Amino acid sequence: MGNKNKSLVVVQLSGGNDYLNTVVPYGDDEYYDFRKTVHIEQNKVLPIDKVYGFSPHLAPIKRLYDQGKVAVINGIGYDNPNRSHFRSMDIWHTAQPDEIGTEGWLGRVIRDLDPTAENVLTGVNFGRGLPRALGVRGVPVASVGNLDTYGLFPDIKDESAKKLALDAFAHMYGGVQGKDPVLNFLGQTGMDALKGADILRTAPQKYSSAIEYAANPIAQGMKSIAQVLLADFGTRVFYTQHGSFDTHSGEILTHAKLWDEVSGAVGDFYDDMQEHGREDEVVVMIFSEFGRRIKDNGSGTDHGSGGVAFIIGGEIKGGMYGQYPSIKEADHLEGDLHFNNDFRSTYSTVVEKWFGLDPVPIVNGHFEQFDFVNA
Amino acid sequence: MVITNTTSIKYLKTIGIVNNGFNGRGFANPYDVAIGPGDNIFVLNRCDPARRNAIRVGVCNLDEEYLYEFGYGFGDGDGQMMLPVAMAFDAEGRLLITDEHTNRITIYSDEGEVLGKWGQKGESEGEFNGPAGIATDSSGTVYICDQRNHRVQKYTADGMFLTQWGSQGTGPGEFNLPWGLGLDAEDNVYVADWRNDRVQKFDSNGHHLKTIGDSGVKQEQLIRPSAVSIDQSGNVYVADWGNERLQVFNSEGKVIASLRGEATLSDWAKDFFESNPDEMETREISDLNPDVPDHLNDPYHISSQTEPFFWGPVSVRIDDNNRLYVVESNRHRIQIYEIE
Amino acid sequence: MSQDVSLMAHLMRRAGFGATRNELDEYLSDGYEATVDKLLDPGESDHMPDDLIRRYHVDQSELRQLDGAGAYWLYRMLTTSNPLEEKLALFWHGLFATGYAKLNQARALLNQIDMFRKYGFGSFRDLLVELSRDPAMILWLDNNENHKEAINENYGRELLELFSMGIGNYSEDDIKECAKAFTGWTLKNAEYMSVRASKDSIWPYGRIAWHYEYRADDHDSGEKKFLGEVGNFNGEDIVDIIVTQKPTARFLSTRLFQYFASDEVDDDGVQVIKAMMDSYFESGFKVSAVLRTLFNSDYFKSEKCRYSRVKGPVESVVGTARLAGSYQEPTLDVHSLWAQTMFMGQGLLAPPTVEGWHEGVEWIDSGSLVERINFAAKELSDPAKEGVQDIIRRVTAGYIDLIHAENLVDSCLDFMGPIQVGADTREGLIEFAESQGKLHLKNGKTDEDGSAQVARLIGMIASTREYQLA
Repeated sequence: MGNKNKSLVVVQLSGGNDYLNTVVPYGDDEYYDFRKTVHIEQNKVLPIDKVYGFSPHLAPIKRLYDQGKVAVINGIGYDNPNRSHFRSMDIWHTAQPDEIGTEGWLGRVIRDLDPTAENVLTGVNFGRGLPRALGVRGVPVASVGNLDTYGLFPDIKDESAKKLALDAFAHMYGGVQGKDPVLNFLGQTGMDALKGADILRTAPQKYSSAIEYAANPIAQGMKSIAQVLLADFGTRVFYTQHGSFDTHSGEILTHAKLWDEVSGAVGDFYDDMQEHGREDEVVVMIFSEFGRRIKDNGSGTDHGSGGVAFIIGGEIKGGMYGQYPSIKEADHLEGDLHFNNDFRSTYSTVVEKWFGLDPVPIVNGHFEQFDFVNA
Repeated sequence: MVITNTTSIKYLKTIGIVNNGFNGRGFANPYDVAIGPGDNIFVLNRCDPARRNAIRVGVCNLDEEYLYEFGYGFGDGDGQMMLPVAMAFDAEGRLLITDEHTNRITIYSDEGEVLGKWGQKGESEGEFNGPAGIATDSSGTVYICDQRNHRVQKYTADGMFLTQWGSQGTGPGEFNLPWGLGLDAEDNVYVADWRNDRVQKFDSNGHHLKTIGDSGVKQEQLIRPSAVSIDQSGNVYVADWGNERLQVFNSEGKVIASLRGEATLSDWAKDFFESNPDEMETREISDLNPDVPDHLNDPYHISSQTEPFFWGPVSVRIDDNNRLYVVESNRHRIQIYEIE
Repeated sequence: MSQDVSLMAHLMRRAGFGATRNELDEYLSDGYEATVDKLLDPGESDHMPDDLIRRYHVDQSELRQLDGAGAYWLYRMLTTSNPLEEKLALFWHGLFATGYAKLNQARALLNQIDMFRKYGFGSFRDLLVELSRDPAMILWLDNNENHKEAINENYGRELLELFSMGIGNYSEDDIKECAKAFTGWTLKNAEYMSVRASKDSIWPYGRIAWHYEYRADDHDSGEKKFLGEVGNFNGEDIVDIIVTQKPTARFLSTRLFQYFASDEVDDDGVQVIKAMMDSYFESGFKVSAVLRTLFNSDYFKSEKCRYSRVKGPVESVVGTARLAGSYQEPTLDVHSLWAQTMFMGQGLLAPPTVEGWHEGVEWIDSGSLVERINFAAKELSDPAKEGVQDIIRRVTAGYIDLIHAENLVDSCLDFMGPIQVGADTREGLIEFAESQGKLHLKNGKTDEDGSAQVARLIGMIASTREYQLA
């Protein structure tokens, strides 16, 4: 279902990324008035135009931007912004700002891409536990902590001992079942898990690339995504996260390090796709649950609203989208940037223009779409 | 504030703010304080599991300038720590830090350079099982509470074992999981005998001299004391951890002051509210010193609901200027008092 | 194995987190009904002392965050001498599901759990009144926004729908009147605390814990009509009316039945639920009376009831760790235990919505099953764990120099539960035991390699389908 051979990689920046120090309004003096301590110096900014520019720690993303491959979604958010990590992340995950949602938007995407759940690997999360964005009852999603040891008995290091354990497991779970539906269900689920792991674990062996990803977790996560994507298991939705972007203190150092890692990983991933001629088949979406306060607190910045998202891919029409919110005091929303486009507009665009699916039931309503995907 | 004939203890200020990141100003479950060169305030951040890679010493001054910090991450490699408990400068200005998990004492320069280390797990001389409180005397001799071995050990400045005393028990000279340790001007050793709810005083060779406090909530009583310090007049300041208060005993063992804490906003806290006026608005109409219902009416729960009160007082230290520092692990701050 | 042992093991899987053979032997010396009585009237429990926890774990002293708070409760479950107290608190936690995500206040959640311990066995009336006064619940369901001049129905609605009577037994008007009766039931410094909660603010000095406050000037003291009765009802009066309703008795009894007896309610189950409802009214709404009727019923003791529930993730983690004898002292990485419950789909103190978790087979998907198996297999295949050593000692006792695979498997199954397994599982286990080579003993004991060999089999048993059932 949907456009075949097109996949989406979602990179979640957990903790609330500071928009103002990511895409910096360096040409606006008020930025330096509000950010007396926690700012990026004018001469270090990588300019987009005379007012806005990327933080120097987004250099690899700036390089792709200059190639026209990066859509910057400015001022993204939602009505009545919530400034609690959990709740705001929930809202982004369930596309339901007004009530507590139970289904993840990407889980719905996966369901519509693979309605009969034929492929247990249509959605793959890199990280332990399942992000709510991927959770929909009956939609299988693999959560991979470590691709090399993924699956059953990761603690058995010896390969032959592990094989004995897995053989016994297959015997115990795969045998002829009795009448008990619960035991049958457990048996089937166990065999599915065994099968999914067997397939996934072959990805690193099939992979070869000239790209050397860094050793940090997000770079390794993007490498795993590249491995699985290039192994062609039919995975369409990939998810991973990095953090913590919750920079209340010592922000300058922390934010720089985090973005060096994220932008390096995303840049390497794009190059990896390009090396394999696949850059037109994948889109990377980077988002965070909220932005941060306009005024710094002397060491960092506190929870705010109004943020930025990035959409990156060979088939993306690069440029600045949405409006960069005004930082004039009179335009503040409770001390924060005023969002001007609902995050579900971006979701809808990806769902419809990239995947060719109906976005309305996925994002819970009609939202104006952007034009950042090549027709 | 409590005033006696000879001593008054006056609240001066609060330094600190919670730091939930990995660097920068603020404290992350601070466990001890030591006053170093230039009267700089060294704060040991024990950190919770989510932040343990940022276990570090942060350095600031009384004017609340955050100066620098050092740490080498979580682990048992050189300079690293896992569950740091306490620290002290020695006579040569080196900073000694105990770690109850790695069973090690690491020696740092005041700038964080690793100068040495000693200790390993065990029960023999020179070994530890959970080193906790530490203090040094003017000649550089080091005293350490060896928590799960229920003893005090005495070392030279470079970690040569000198002597030890104590074993598990409730009698004089016996201990149950001792924590903090302090010295007076005559190098007598005071031990916060944590699970025996008392402080014991010894001479520098471990002869038991007296016992201060017994188990309970009354004035002359203690619950799980965590730390002890002695001022120039011989008054004994005890962080009464289980009662969430600071008890001051005179040399006769009478309580001359009892402090519950009266924290105010640090400069860093004021900065926070300046950029978060929405929180200040509702804070101003709040009663941060509320009456609490019966079922939450023990010291721990009262402190959890009363922001100015001590909560988790894990260390008390007195500097050469007669300033008293109370470190609160659960509130990420240090309340500073002046002893007059 | 004796019938008494398997029945007692069944009781302890349901009324607790399973039991080691040592514990079972003690319970058996008291007998079944006396054990039920003791479980239901536990008195003060023994458990890991707070002072030791707080000295060792700064996060569990401060309780600023979810993982530390979850680990703190897990310690209690792991070390308590009264397992039903915790199992029942976990039941209430699932039923009155209050979650961290909106509150950002772990201490308040743990205070709520304490309230469940204190009131959970007693009168359902008292429990519902305390629940309505619980500050975590008040903020969770917006009762701090329920004002005399402008009601917020959220708590009133869920009290009736999810916490007591169930949908279809009251009208929309009853909900409104119920909400009116709870106006003015709020928490101290509600305005500041709700701003902090909404921003997850820990500034400047960490969290400030909560307690209940009644604001008489914000309470609607006018006349209300609720479920056919009329009066100037306050919240307590509403609860008084709720608890006398038959649907309330049915709702509570059914939920207790599903949690303690069987995921599915069949015809025999309906009869047990009827008896539980009778006990509810006869005892003056006492939860312990309802549970006593259940545990002493023939249905509960029957073969049919055994292994008819899928273990929840928390049950699974705690049961496994108790069997292994882990975490009996403060342990460095205990916070990761909480993460395990999250990976398995039941983040303790963090239910996804007020409806709690979907239980039964819905606990199981391929991801959560792998997490369960990997956790249990790792815990129980470690021969250094005291609980594992105890199983090995019992398994080898009575043998002199050699144990055949079949006997080894049966004996391990016995001392790990007893656990009943199907033929495929048993064959798989025997095949696995044989693949590990012959188990030789010296003077009836295993050497180091032998212990590791038995431990591997124990870990494999923890990986079976049957181990997922209670």
